[in-house]
Amino acid sequence: MVERRKTSAKATPLQAQDKLTFLLSLVPYLMDHDRVSVTEVADHFGMKPEQIRDAVRLIGVSGIPGETASYQHEDLFDISWDDLEINDQIVLTHRVAIDDSPRFSAREAAALIAGLQYLSALPEHADRAAIASLMAKLSRGASGAPSQLTVQATETDDTLALIKDSVDAGVQLEFDYLNSRGEHERRRVDPLRIESLDADWYLRAWCHLREAVRTFRLDRISNPQITTQAITHGIDDVKLPDTLFEGSADDLIVTIDVAAAAASLLADYIPDGAVTIERDGRLQTSVRVSHYHGLKRLISSMPGVAVVLDPPDARRAVEEWAAAGAARYAESQAT
Amino acid sequence: MSASSSASRIPVEERLFSLVLALLATEAGLTKNEILSTVQGYRQRFVVSGDNSNLERQFERDKDDIRELGVPLETVESPGQAGNNQNLRYRIPRGDYELPADISFSPEETTLLNLAAMVWREGSLSGDSRRAILKLRSLGVATDDPVLGYAPRLRVRDAAFDPLSAALEKNVIVRFGYLKPGEQDARIRTVAPVALIQHEGRWLLHAEDQDVGSTRNFLLRRIVTPITTTNTHYKPLGPEATQTALTELDEIWRDRQAIVEVEPGSDAATRLGKRRGTAPAVAGSLTLHYSDLDLFADELAGYGPEVLVVSPPELRSAVHDRLIRTAADHG
Repeated sequence: MVERRKTSAKATPLQAQDKLTFLLSLVPYLMDHDRVSVTEVADHFGMKPEQIRDAVRLIGVSGIPGETASYQHEDLFDISWDDLEINDQIVLTHRVAIDDSPRFSAREAAALIAGLQYLSALPEHADRAAIASLMAKLSRGASGAPSQLTVQATETDDTLALIKDSVDAGVQLEFDYLNSRGEHERRRVDPLRIESLDADWYLRAWCHLREAVRTFRLDRISNPQITTQAITHGIDDVKLPDTLFEGSADDLIVTIDVAAAAASLLADYIPDGAVTIERDGRLQTSVRVSHYHGLKRLISSMPGVAVVLDPPDARRAVEEWAAAGAARYAESQAT
Repeated sequence: MSASSSASRIPVEERLFSLVLALLATEAGLTKNEILSTVQGYRQRFVVSGDNSNLERQFERDKDDIRELGVPLETVESPGQAGNNQNLRYRIPRGDYELPADISFSPEETTLLNLAAMVWREGSLSGDSRRAILKLRSLGVATDDPVLGYAPRLRVRDAAFDPLSAALEKNVIVRFGYLKPGEQDARIRTVAPVALIQHEGRWLLHAEDQDVGSTRNFLLRRIVTPITTTNTHYKPLGPEATQTALTELDEIWRDRQAIVEVEPGSDAATRLGKRRGTAPAVAGSLTLHYSDLDLFADELAGYGPEVLVVSPPELRSAVHDRLIRTAADHG
């Protein structure tokens, strides 16, 4: 029996391979820029200024063993040290060994190509030929044939295009929304960002009805309409959480028993700090749900795989839902 | 002692960077002994005419790490010394290392590639995407507006994904236990991987089954044992094979049709109505497409009384059985 506690993932520091890739990428960039500020480089590479300074200091003392095999001055990179330490500017004054940017690895090219396939159905990427030529360039710019990784283009409809238009224009959007409790409501929102998880699409928006940030499933949105009214809450005004599914203080905690192999399917629902007990290929853990309407649907879609243990109300909600579904078959056979 | 304590102050990235620089700068290549005795990060730990086996193992690991990044580190035999391992020379040929000069990316393409990389925010491919973007930024192309209004994401939660993708890269045959629905025990399959495919939101391995002699699709979530990687290599099929597989998957999906009654105004009516390829049948019914009967039955069972499957009969009984099972499990 194994007991473990789920912990939240921390931002991982750059690993040695990432740091090496960064050094090999930074050198050609600096060769193309006679003088550039640390902050500009940090912005361009999406890194902290201190990471840039560390990398430049390392480049400044690196080089090749050279003729004498002893790293003589002319065998090393050099930078203008005063410019770096006093003006926070980078000036590469001598270079060795590197002439150009590195190729992509086969896996790097494969990851980008699969990402492009996934995105190719987005409304603004109607130009399939442009995407195909971009993929061909990635293959040619890789050091090996990209491994075969393929993602079906995501299915998108007019709703997505309309929402994207409203995000771009910064105007409010109205639509009919059916929540997982089965309630229909006309919502007016400030659209912030369109997100996806595999084949499912979501809209993150400030909801004027709830006066809070909400996540809407695109397949539960009907009759969307763009308004002419400007949004009142922009993406910089609200704190948009990184995770799509966020817990709230009102959430219900439910104990479940799930096949260990299937537990990853429930990962979004397992709260941080949940205690998990593993025995004979089954896990006992807890999931967080906002109400039993969502839970009964979730558990019924994993028959024989996940079973609610506690509380009794939650068990009953699932039982009634499944029994009502089964009853329809009994009735329709009878007639 | 002083040698090893000063070596511990040389960071890994400095040793790897120095190794790449040294091997890029040499035309004829360097022998292992030359590398260990002269290159920064190794030379500090090198013992002249002593035992350097730890350092040699370090060099072996470093070579793997560097190759994994797409750096074409190659070995050449010293002239007139063929077959002598001690005199193998290592080098990085410039032409295979550098991005071809005629490849460039426009600001629009760069923006799109940034978005494509963002898709892999979880799992092992996130590291590959992150490094690809660093290399892309090396070219200095400024991107358009970084705020695109999109945050797309693909997930890989199947434990089999990483070992299978490694096997695909090395073109080696793998073995795993595969549990088909309705069967009691997993059967061991020996396959030559062709492609990893995400179709309808699920990951599949398209592979040549060595026992049957033809290609099959394996759902990653039905692989129930760890992947065993063999040392047997196979000749990889081209990208056409992957495209064919995807087309076939789409055909299967198109051919399999179900008719279901949905409760008007319900979650099922709204969501199933918006599913790809759904068409209204007679009043209150929908015609739906699916790839896998068992997975689709799971999905439909989740809708409880909002859905009644009309046809095909095997789907109807599969959903009915599932609902009975769930009710019994919670009774």
